[in-house]
Order: sequence, then C-alpha cells, then structure tokens
Amino acid sequence: MTQFRALYYDGKTSQQREVLVWAEPSGRLRVSGDGVDFGCRIAEVRPSPRVGNTARHLQFPDGSQCETGDNDAVDAVFAALPSQAPGRLIHSWESRYGYALFALALTAAALWAGITYGIPALAKQVAAVLPPSTERALGRDALAALDRVLLAPSKLPPARREKMRALFSHMVSGIEGADGYRLELRAGKRLGANALALPSGEIVVTDQLVELAEKDDELVAVLAHEIGHLRQRHGLRRLLQDSATVLLIAAVTGDLSSIASLASALPAILLQAKYSRDFESEADEFAFDYMKRHGIPPESLGAILLRMDKRRGAATDIPDYLSTHPATRERAERSRAAR
Amino acid sequence: MAHPSDAAQSAASDFVSLRFTGQAGEYFRIWIVNICLSIATLGIYSAWAKVRRKRYFYGNTLLGDSAFEYLADPKAILKGRIVVVGGFAIYSLVGRINPMAGLAMALVFLGVLPWLIVRASRFNAVNSAHRNVRFDFRAGYGEMARLLTLPIVLVPLTLGLLYPYYAYRKRRFFLEHSTYGTTPFAFDASAGAYYLVYLKSALMFVVFLAGSVVTLGVGALPFYIWFAAYRDGALARLTWKSTRLGGLRFDCGWKTGGLFKLYLVNSLGVIFSAGLLSPWAAVRTARYQLKRISLRPGGEIGAFLAAAQEQVGAVGDEASDLLGFDFGL
Repeated sequence: MTQFRALYYDGKTSQQREVLVWAEPSGRLRVSGDGVDFGCRIAEVRPSPRVGNTARHLQFPDGSQCETGDNDAVDAVFAALPSQAPGRLIHSWESRYGYALFALALTAAALWAGITYGIPALAKQVAAVLPPSTERALGRDALAALDRVLLAPSKLPPARREKMRALFSHMVSGIEGADGYRLELRAGKRLGANALALPSGEIVVTDQLVELAEKDDELVAVLAHEIGHLRQRHGLRRLLQDSATVLLIAAVTGDLSSIASLASALPAILLQAKYSRDFESEADEFAFDYMKRHGIPPESLGAILLRMDKRRGAATDIPDYLSTHPATRERAERSRAAR
Repeated sequence: MAHPSDAAQSAASDFVSLRFTGQAGEYFRIWIVNICLSIATLGIYSAWAKVRRKRYFYGNTLLGDSAFEYLADPKAILKGRIVVVGGFAIYSLVGRINPMAGLAMALVFLGVLPWLIVRASRFNAVNSAHRNVRFDFRAGYGEMARLLTLPIVLVPLTLGLLYPYYAYRKRRFFLEHSTYGTTPFAFDASAGAYYLVYLKSALMFVVFLAGSVVTLGVGALPFYIWFAAYRDGALARLTWKSTRLGGLRFDCGWKTGGLFKLYLVNSLGVIFSAGLLSPWAAVRTARYQLKRISLRPGGEIGAFLAAAQEQVGAVGDEASDLLGFDFGL
C-alpha cells in the first residue's frame, strides 16, 4: 500500500495542515490527520503533472488540495489513470541525459535544415508573392542617403558615360523583367572601385570601377552580377531571411533573460553573413549564365574581381564565415570553370 | 486558529526568505525537450512547453515548505497563441495591400491594448497560486487606458523625463490592483524615490559610456553589465521594500556586485556555449534573485482567505508575450 506525507490546504484559507495520504484497495484515496479525515475516488482527483522534481499538487473535487514532494508515490497511486500517460512519457524523456542529447541532436539538425534550406526557400516563396512595389518602398531613399555620405557626382568624360549607358540599356533590353532598372554612375570616394544594386532598381557603378576595367566584357560581367541581384530580388529576400532568423533565434532562446539575450545577436550576425555569401554566389551564377548566352567569356568576372581585390590591398584575412562575400579566389575559379 | 505546523509562524517576527531549488542539469533536459518537441510539432507543443517551464520555476520556488504553483491550461494558451498569430498575420497582410486599412487596424489595436494588458495580467495572476490560494488582478479598461497615456503620449512628449514617474505609477497600479486571495497588495514608495533611482542609474550609464570610450570598446560589455546590475538591484530593492500584503512586509537584498558577477558569468557562459548554457544561466539567476527576497509576516501566514474564481482566456497573455510587454509583478 502506497502511503505518503503531504500538506493539506482547504482552498478557503492559506492554512496548512500535515496529513497522511494513502490509496485504499477500494480505489479510493484517503486523506487523514490534523483535523482532516476524508476520502474520495482516485479517478476524481486531479494530480499536477510531474515536472522535474517539483512538488505535486493533488486537487480534490471540493477545491481542497494536497502538496507533496513524494513524486514516486503519487505516480504509483495514479499509474492506472489514462490521463496521466502523456505526462509520464514526457517526464521520462526529460529524465535521462541520453534522451536530452538525442533531443539536442534533433534540434540542431532541424535548426541546420531550417537555416540552410527552410528559411531561404520560404523567403523565395514569399518574395514571389509580394509585388515589386514592396522593393521600391524598401529602397526609395537609399540612393539619396548614399549620395550624402559615400558618393559624389561622376567625373568620367561624357563620352565614357554615354558608352556605359548604351552598354547597360543594351543589356537590360535583352533580360526579361529588367526594363525598369537604371544605371547610376558616381565617383566612389571612400567606396573605391565598386558596384551595388539597390532594391529600388538602381545599379550604382563607381568611376573607379569603370577605369579599372580593361575590357567592356568585364563591365558587362559586373553589371550582369548586379542585375542578377535585382532579378532574383535579393534585397527583399535578405530582409525576409534576416527577420525570420531573428524570429527563429528568439523562439529557441525564448526564455533568456535580459543580458544573456545579447549573446543571441552573434549567431544572427554569422547567419546573415552566410546568407549574404549565398546571394553573391547566386548573382555570380546569373552573370555566368548571361555571359555564356551572349558569347562573353565568364572568366571576365573573375579577372575584374581579382583586380578589385588587388587595388583594395585585399582584406583577405577576414575569415570566410564572417565575410559577406565568398572568397574572391574561389569566385574567380568558378568563373573559369563556368565556361 | 494558530497552528504548530506553520513553519513561518514559529518565527513570526523574523524575515523568511524565498528559496529556489531548481537544478541546472534537470532544467537543461526540460528545456531541450521543450524546444525539440516544439519544433517537431511546428509550434503546437510550445504552449505545453511554456507551462512546463513555468511550472518548473514556480514549483521550485518555496516559501516555508510550500511551493508556488502555475496553473495555466496549455490548451487555453494554445488558443490564445492561434488568435494572436492569426491577428498579426492578417494585420501584416492588410497593411501591405492597403496601408490605410493597416492604419485603421493599428488604431483598433491601440483601442484594445488596455483590455489586452488587463487580461494578460489577470491570466497570469489567477494562474499563480500558493497554498491553494490564487492571486488575482482586477482593473477597469478606463483606468488602464489612462495609465497607458503615460508611455504612449506623455513620456515621448517630455523626452523621457516622465519615464521614472511612469515606472512608479505602473508598479503602483499593478500592485494596488493585485490580490492574494482576498488580500490586496499595497505600495508605499514615492515618485521621488523612483526619480532618485533612475537618476543614479543614468549616472551609471554615463560611467558605462565613459568606460567604453576609455577602454576603446574592450570594456563595453563589463561596464554595461555593471550599469544593468546597478539599475536592476536598486529598482528591485526599492520596489520590494515598498510592497505590502496585508500585514506582510517584503525585503530585497540584491547587490550590485552580486548581480554583476551573476550577469557577467551568465553572459560569458551563454556566448561561449552557443546558447547551450542558457538553462544554467536561468537557474542561476532565479537562485540568486529569489534567495534574496524575503518577507516578514506581520500576522499569521496561514490566515489569508481565498476568493471565488472564474476562468480567464489567454489571448491577452499571448499578445503580451508576442509583443514583449513586461507588466508582471
């Protein structure tokens, strides 16, 4: 016969009484001691679920309650109740380190799959549903902001500028869905030789980059890469992916308190760098594809990328996992292989 | 009737501390199973996970020999979550298709916000119990709306100068509308005391800024943690020492140095374990903080009367979870 000590509360006041509780063969639970003596059917008692080693509360039909730390005795008394089965199963998962490690491995695998495939695929789907006006709203003021801080009006000779524009409009007229894109030539100031695509459809190319190019093929390669960013809606997808990442991390580390949650910014930064590298590779692929179709050697992209690196004095010592771009050497190799 | 088994009663004039008996290893296993099952069920289990987490922390918090109890029904929480997530999804969608309709929905949301916060506080309170007596929170829509004009309108208008006054009013509002059984809480701090704490915290923030600059950013984290430890400790001490429950008085012994060490070790542990030590950090925090909250029974601790109960839906609670309100006691 299972018997255990408990504290009894009548549910009307906070007064505490010490009692003994035991199961009778008739299927009734008896509570006795200290001015309390009653019994009720075991099936009518609602025991709280077992969570770790916390005390259990047995709720009786009249609103009174027993509290006891004797978890094994409570489990034994209520073993036959079918309502207790799910709670027992979960508690047994939570009780062994082996199961916990298994749960950890499963969680890690699910997170890895979600981050590598789930979030990017989802963002792609959502981006396909959203109208192009979303991006225009996103990047509306980006160019004005860049002009204030990083860029100055282009100082290229007018003939060179005209040639660039002609090159660009020839390219976009041949690419489906690219007709709204605009080329913006600027002096790069501290930005140096560079090109960027803004979600609003503007492609900024700096004077320094135009001067760095040895052939038009190289400029076509860079422009095709930037058009690739826009065509594949990387700005919007990046926004969606970054928000999803923050949500995911918040969901996993949900019960972190104040300061410790600072730490969760770190994986977010690493993930965002990884997504950025993936987008760069995707834009490279777009460029290779365009160049092959137009009879331009894909290695032109690698050639100008390597020269940009050399000009910049190449900060090659940034580790790959922190960098927002894949290593230039790798990109150049792929451009040669793309042929 | 006096009763000899009442541990707290035998030492009626002394302070009795809360105790926290949770173990990091035990909570780690609960935490990881919670996350794993939440992922595997696409979030449905997260309602049960929340209840198990709260039951673990409540159940390991002891006053005398009696544990606190968290009583929320996971199904009510799941329903609340579905309503909140659905509402949020509709709002985002409508806002994209028609910004004006989105704005109208935002105004409607602002209108129901006082109601949501009252419901959230109520849900939390009635699902918390000690010695089979539940807590409760009751406040009207109008008075909550008036309180909310402080953070939404007046604090921004005064460039934050009213913030300490708002913090004071908020704490007072929530305590004075809360009960344990039928016994109301009371709060006797002054707005001036809140201003003093926030003023000193602001000075600590200046120290943090100066320290970060002087150490070229290397010292930013420790200096920030020192500031946070100072602010949390000073606020908690002021708040608890000014709280009454019937004849009960509370005391709080959080120290800046102790909190600093706690936060620093927790942060380093969580960062260098990629989050795996966060259950350990949560248990350490609860242990430090609860052990240093004590109460002095002015009367008999067994004499609180329970109140008649009614059930409360969880929509408010889930909305406040999603939006990150912190209106708890």
